[in-house]
Amino acid sequence: MSQTTADVPGLIPEGMELPPARKGERALARRRRLAAYLLLFPGGLYLVIGFVVPLIIIVITSLSSGGGLFSTGGATTFTWEFSNYSTAFSEHWQIYVRSVMFAGIATVICIGLAYPMAYWIAFYGGKWKATLFMLILVPFFVSFVIRTVQWNFILGTNGLLFGPLKNLGLLSEDFRVLKTPVAVIAGITYNYMPFAALPLYVALERIDRRLVEAAKDLYASKPMAFRKVVLPLSVPGIFAAVILTFVPATGDYINSVILGGGGPGTTMIGVLIQSYFLVQHEYPIAAALSVILMVSMLVLAIAYARVLGTEDDTIAAAAA
Amino acid sequence: MTIDPQQQPGLSSALARGMTSRRMSRRNMIKLGGASVGTLSLASILAACSKSSTPGGSNAAPAANFDPATAGDHINFSNWPLYIDKAHGTYPSLDAFTKQYDISVTYNDEINDNSSFIGEILPQLRAGQDTKRDIIVITNGEYLAGLITNGWATELDASRRPNFDANAASWAKSPFYDEGNRFTMAWQSGLTGVGYNTELAHKPPTKLDDLMSTDYFPTGSVGVLQSDAPDLVMINLGIDPKTSQQAEWDEAATWLKKLRDSDTFYAAYDQGYVDDLTAKNLAGTMAWSGDVLYYKIWENQPFDFIVPENGALLWIDNMVIPAHSANPAGALELMDWFYKPDIAQMVTEWVLYMSPVPAVQGLIDEHAKKESGKYADQLAQTAESPMLWPDQALLDRVSLGRNITTDDESKAWHATFDSIWQQ
Repeated sequence: MSQTTADVPGLIPEGMELPPARKGERALARRRRLAAYLLLFPGGLYLVIGFVVPLIIIVITSLSSGGGLFSTGGATTFTWEFSNYSTAFSEHWQIYVRSVMFAGIATVICIGLAYPMAYWIAFYGGKWKATLFMLILVPFFVSFVIRTVQWNFILGTNGLLFGPLKNLGLLSEDFRVLKTPVAVIAGITYNYMPFAALPLYVALERIDRRLVEAAKDLYASKPMAFRKVVLPLSVPGIFAAVILTFVPATGDYINSVILGGGGPGTTMIGVLIQSYFLVQHEYPIAAALSVILMVSMLVLAIAYARVLGTEDDTIAAAAA
Repeated sequence: MTIDPQQQPGLSSALARGMTSRRMSRRNMIKLGGASVGTLSLASILAACSKSSTPGGSNAAPAANFDPATAGDHINFSNWPLYIDKAHGTYPSLDAFTKQYDISVTYNDEINDNSSFIGEILPQLRAGQDTKRDIIVITNGEYLAGLITNGWATELDASRRPNFDANAASWAKSPFYDEGNRFTMAWQSGLTGVGYNTELAHKPPTKLDDLMSTDYFPTGSVGVLQSDAPDLVMINLGIDPKTSQQAEWDEAATWLKKLRDSDTFYAAYDQGYVDDLTAKNLAGTMAWSGDVLYYKIWENQPFDFIVPENGALLWIDNMVIPAHSANPAGALELMDWFYKPDIAQMVTEWVLYMSPVPAVQGLIDEHAKKESGKYADQLAQTAESPMLWPDQALLDRVSLGRNITTDDESKAWHATFDSIWQQ
């Protein structure tokens, strides 16, 4: 017998006459809808105030003119000023490319380092799984900024790492890493690696071990079992890891300023946006730079989702 | 009456200093991204979008009542970190003021750079509201000019600052960016020149050009102060930055690009260069006099500071009363309070920047004679340093920087110089 909408709780059409025994179902459905709204309301309101409203303001500002400290006292006027976008992009496209490149390299390194670690913990961690996994998260207990500042001491020209090597004559006196692209990428990699490790571990931990055993029973070697079974099943984790690492890393500000700040070829887009907002007080250009970054991340994430196979683009969009 | 922590009975000078916070230049603060990025949020954007009730460019500073009889009983004073005397968690110079006038002072060391601080109070200024700050300290230049141009700085009553009239240094009186000190009174000042590590530099530099020579500095060991570099370079190219235009800016930009592309270049800094100087990542850098002197005199670091042959940049941090302050009369009294030599001495012995009260030099010298040991030596060095007490010969070799006063100038300036370091 086919099921009708009236048979499904919550889908009883309004106004439909029901036998007295089923009128309670309509009340139940109403209560369920109300509960759903009540559950969604606080978080939804928070997102509207904290994300949607600022987003609208940024978009409006990006299409405004004015903003100069002297002529308008910093006030902007909405004038559909699309030229802000062409100005922002034409003058700074190289920095967008650099930001994407730095984030891309750091993401690949993050995945490369985090995957084997997550794999070992998930498959061989045994009773130490939770402890080992907690160790990955330990850096989160220290401020992001402080962690990055510490790298100044590690990567310093005469710091913890290179000072002794120079003293031993293994490095030339003018060897340096700080204030170079290498330092920025290293910092991003360090700071975002836990974000990559988390989803990878969850994905790997969920893999049914019997599938790996079955592959081996069918004469698959260990590498082949990994390639044919484990890797495909961990793709959702890789996908999430890339999104969680690449997207925030592209807009990174801290690593670029603290580890690269002022060095040749180290400025990333976050630093540029900060400069337009807080140094030059050119709010429309700053807002246009922000919108370009956001939209390009969205497009890249959705394209990536299509290629790598998540069926739900909203996940990628939400991450971006 | 003044309170001097060094002279409290039963408390040795060394112990007193040891019990107080570590001296640190107010400019030696890393402009940490978290804080800066945080201010990118709604405040700045809303400031940009909200409707202005004080039209820009009107220069219509609201009239304020400076009659001491109307002075309120509280002042909010916003300044840069570690830029005032401090002892046992209080500020002796401010405590003395409170005792004298029965006006309490809340001191906030909340200013980490001019631009973001102005951005923070912009919504109130533009809405014609009280910023909840009665005195703010802003460096001469674009942002101070913006305050004055927009009528966001309260015009001071020149008849109610007797200590300033009697004791202010010549350079603090009627600077070109605020003739007659209508809106500002100097808090402290300093020079931007060349600081270097005497152990790492191959030989002592004498010219700004030496920064890009491997004869003087090792490869990858020279820093640049982004904000001050254009003016300093112009001075050293024989250009008066105060009257400079685009052609001269391009000339300075060419010099800076040459330095950026030289073997000696390490990095350009907003602030925080001292961390790299002390970590030996830098052998030489454009530097602020007070930073280098502090580490040289009080921390015995092998640093030195020079005024390059063609001159150095003079900058002045100015006390300003924001428009619609709740207590302008009390604020002006406090501003003038810091021009009493014994009060100014308390500040200078801590911050080691150029005091706007020259008489302080003699007071520190006398103080040094009363002390003994290392502390006396340090005070004596403070009293003798030409960088703190420039004579006329030195003042003739320094210049204030370009005063940006229009949006077109601001855009052209930033387009010329900011892009150099964003490569």
